[in-house]
Amino acid sequence: MSRYTVKHIGDIERRDSWIPIREDLDIGAFGVNAYRTEEAGAQVISNHTELMAKHEELYVVLEGHASFTVDGEEVDAPAGTLVFVGDPESHRGATAHEPGTTVFAVGAQPGAAYEVSPWEESWRESGEAMKLYREQRYAEAAAILRDAIERYPNSAGLYYNLACFESMAGEDAATVVGHLAQAIELYPSFRDYARQDSDFDPVTDDPAFKALIEEAA
Amino acid sequence: MTYQVASFDELERIPVMHGLEWRPVRRRFGIGAFGVNAYTAEKPGDWIVEEHTEERLGHEELYAVVRGRARFTLDGEEIDAPAGTLVFVSDPGVKRVAVAEEEGTTVLAVGGKPGEAFTASPWEWYFQAYEQPVEDGIETMQRGIEELGERGSLYYHLACLEARAGRLDDARAHLAHAIELDPFLREIAVKDDDLEEVR
Repeated sequence: MSRYTVKHIGDIERRDSWIPIREDLDIGAFGVNAYRTEEAGAQVISNHTELMAKHEELYVVLEGHASFTVDGEEVDAPAGTLVFVGDPESHRGATAHEPGTTVFAVGAQPGAAYEVSPWEESWRESGEAMKLYREQRYAEAAAILRDAIERYPNSAGLYYNLACFESMAGEDAATVVGHLAQAIELYPSFRDYARQDSDFDPVTDDPAFKALIEEAA
Repeated sequence: MTYQVASFDELERIPVMHGLEWRPVRRRFGIGAFGVNAYTAEKPGDWIVEEHTEERLGHEELYAVVRGRARFTLDGEEIDAPAGTLVFVSDPGVKRVAVAEEEGTTVLAVGGKPGEAFTASPWEWYFQAYEQPVEDGIETMQRGIEELGERGSLYYHLACLEARAGRLDDARAHLAHAIELDPFLREIAVKDDDLEEVR
């Protein structure tokens, strides 16, 4: 194993806007990635919370000019700005003002040894499945996630999306509810998502589905 | 406040050695999950990463050249590192040092030990303490002990500063405690000019 690795950020193979630094350099102690967009006005950091990973996150604008929104407040962030979001509940995201805007992001959970986030491990399968979902090939999308869950059994997001795809594919309600229940067990906020998610319209009248999403969190 | 914002230029500037300027990030934001700091140099040719290994802390370190251009030397191998270069040193035993090649060069360093929860490193306190008037430096070290607990290196540098201030009894007691916590410090103490009067 090499003792050190040197790489220019531009030489790391991108996955759309994501520059997977941690994976490329095989870093084990903290999460680190960068995101870049060539389009002014495009989202460079997707809107999200860190409720699932409980990470503190530090964003550093390396190039260009971004505008962050944290809990509804807008933060102007030209290159050289550091934005630290300590509260995992905070809703955060960023838009690029200039082409080539690049944001470096470091994250980990205080008081816990770092573990690779499930979304990072299963990105390939999730990406393929989402592509099929957008093409309305729901059964094929579900099959990919069923395989992925064998490898990443603790990913709440995989279970949730599997339940969505199965619902849209017309699978029986018991299967959909079973996978949604596993998603909610791993990440209770998925109960709230499910209440508003039209992917579950095909099972909305099922008594077990109703009972699951109406349970007190 | 659920978030905090700063630009690199607004970060405190603490001179360390060979022109190296530490720009504290972790401490400014109160980050608890990983180590992160920025570094600048007084002028081209000065250190922008001090010569060190991570053997004591066992940290993996990622250096990102954010602005300008640096020249790293890793176990004797020289590496040109223009802005955008990522230097990841996974092996704590690698001796690393970097100098700034251009005015305004800025390096961001992120560190942590794989498989362990992050705790702040004692150097964050003693780097600052030596740059302060000696009595303020002593207070900084005492605060470090309050925050991090019993760490040999914190008591060691407290003892050095107390010796500088002429508080020789305190210095002797704290040096003894430092060596009790971390016997390796005895080897450093025998060569340390600060401790000449208490050895």
